[in-house]
Amino acid sequence: MIRKLGLILLVVIVAAFMMVSCKPRKKGSGDDDEGTPKKAKYVSKADEGTISGVIKFDGTPPERKKIDMSQDANCVTSAGDKLSDDVLVDAGKLQNVFVYVTGGPADKFDFGTPTDAVVLDQSGCRYEPRVLGLQAGQTLKVMNSDKTTHNVHPSPSKNPEWNQVMTQNAAPLEKKFTKPETLIPVKCNQHPWMTAHIGVLAHPFFAVSGKDGSYSIKGLPPGEYTLIAYHETLGEKRQKLTVGAKESKTQDFSFSPKVAFIPTSLEVEPALVLP
Amino acid sequence: MKNHVEVATKPTLWLHRFAIFLAFLIVILLVAGALVTSNEAGDSVPDWPLSFGRWVIHSENFIANVRFEYSHRFIAGIVGFTTFLFALCIWFLDPRKWMKRLAVLAFFGVVAQAAIGGVRVLLPAYKAAIAVPHALIAQSFFALIVALAVFTSRGWFADHEEQADAGRPSLRRLALLTIGALLIQLVLGAGFRHGAWGVLPHVVGAVMVAALIIWTASVVLIRHQDSDLRRPAWSALFLVLVQIALGIFAYFARVAAKGDPQPLEPMISLTASHVVVGALTLAAMVVLTLRSYRLLAPTGDRVNNAAPDLAASRRATV
Repeated sequence: MIRKLGLILLVVIVAAFMMVSCKPRKKGSGDDDEGTPKKAKYVSKADEGTISGVIKFDGTPPERKKIDMSQDANCVTSAGDKLSDDVLVDAGKLQNVFVYVTGGPADKFDFGTPTDAVVLDQSGCRYEPRVLGLQAGQTLKVMNSDKTTHNVHPSPSKNPEWNQVMTQNAAPLEKKFTKPETLIPVKCNQHPWMTAHIGVLAHPFFAVSGKDGSYSIKGLPPGEYTLIAYHETLGEKRQKLTVGAKESKTQDFSFSPKVAFIPTSLEVEPALVLP
Repeated sequence: MKNHVEVATKPTLWLHRFAIFLAFLIVILLVAGALVTSNEAGDSVPDWPLSFGRWVIHSENFIANVRFEYSHRFIAGIVGFTTFLFALCIWFLDPRKWMKRLAVLAFFGVVAQAAIGGVRVLLPAYKAAIAVPHALIAQSFFALIVALAVFTSRGWFADHEEQADAGRPSLRRLALLTIGALLIQLVLGAGFRHGAWGVLPHVVGAVMVAALIIWTASVVLIRHQDSDLRRPAWSALFLVLVQIALGIFAYFARVAAKGDPQPLEPMISLTASHVVVGALTLAAMVVLTLRSYRLLAPTGDRVNNAAPDLAASRRATV
């Protein structure tokens, strides 16, 4: 009987490991550069255009929920309003929407990699900024301005995952994501309300909407693109458009409050749904 | 027919109490592990086997989610050491060879479980692939210690009237099948909890397991009057009903908490309780299964040849 039980257990363990290991990974819209041949270097003809616009929020914004920071006295004293900041709406304008293009010349040429680092700070037990973008191979400089310890833990699906502790006054971490991936969630597992999202693209044509909901993508070579606006909880909007030589295009997006979750399918999707 | 078997010796009873103490420690460890997952604290201490480079962390680091992860490691250390002592005691005090083998299995099981937990920390990219077997082995280890508690109990050695395991299916087979289903259900639950798949497989599994436990318990209550069988049957029945209720509440608490910036009550307590009651249900079924093999003989067999492994155990004891 003990042998039978042992056999059952062994079969279940092996089956469990295989079932979980074989789960396919999710892929974002800006992640299609892998395996493509080397691109030609982009040579400017001084005819680049611009896409700009405003991200609006229709309806009543969801109530910002209170964050319980009592687990860490340093956070209690250093944090600001202690309210959730996943959906930030000011006068009908939506902040922290990652806007980027795919297709057209953006995917055909090599636009080089900037040498300056993009900074992600941990301040008041929040990530600052909450949403940011950088190019594949560009340096991400992570800082800790708090008087407490954090751990920085991005969970990419195409780039290597890492998880590193940063004590107070720790030297900045310098990291790179070498493959395009939209968007990589970043968490501090010590303070579970701390979340950021990083968009990694092969080109520099992205922006994050500001407090007034505005964004602007400059220096776009003329061509046909798909413009994508992605919000971490509200999902994404897409728009095909053509940018002419030296054209300034305006493209606004509107997001609506998420429909209340009705568990008809009994499915809670725990992973981030990528565009 | 009566079987006259020598009543357990003193060291065996002492071992029985030790096994119960260890099982109690493991329940505490299961609670601590469940709280780590419910609080999303699994990666809060990125190094292993040290924590922030130390065996005993600074009090200033014992904050926020680190409290759950470090407590889990600390209790796991206590359980590991206690299991080592327990295995040593069985090795030297219990005359049965197969008990010695089980004790060695328990020791290597707890070592392997610690190593899997460490790999889970060091390879966060394979979270679900490692966390699910970690959860399964945790509960299987608990079941093994419960089994060792049964094997060292006075009831295991006591005189009893052997009954025929009449009826189709036999209770022994049904109980074994239910344990298999429970282990699969553990995997489905752990997979959902660690984000490997949705809740639907776990719900389907819950219906199957509940049906099997109700069936097994009904077979016991209808066919057998022996309190050694009826007690674990009632316990399994009660626990599975509590477990279903906890599962429903935990699911809706999780749905309601979907927009929360962090894990909050009552979701944390409900999901952790669901994990622990699941383990207790498995324990009740293990006790029932072992006792059914101990007390019942397959139909058609001569009673004295009914359970060769148990007969061997008696020879070793006498």
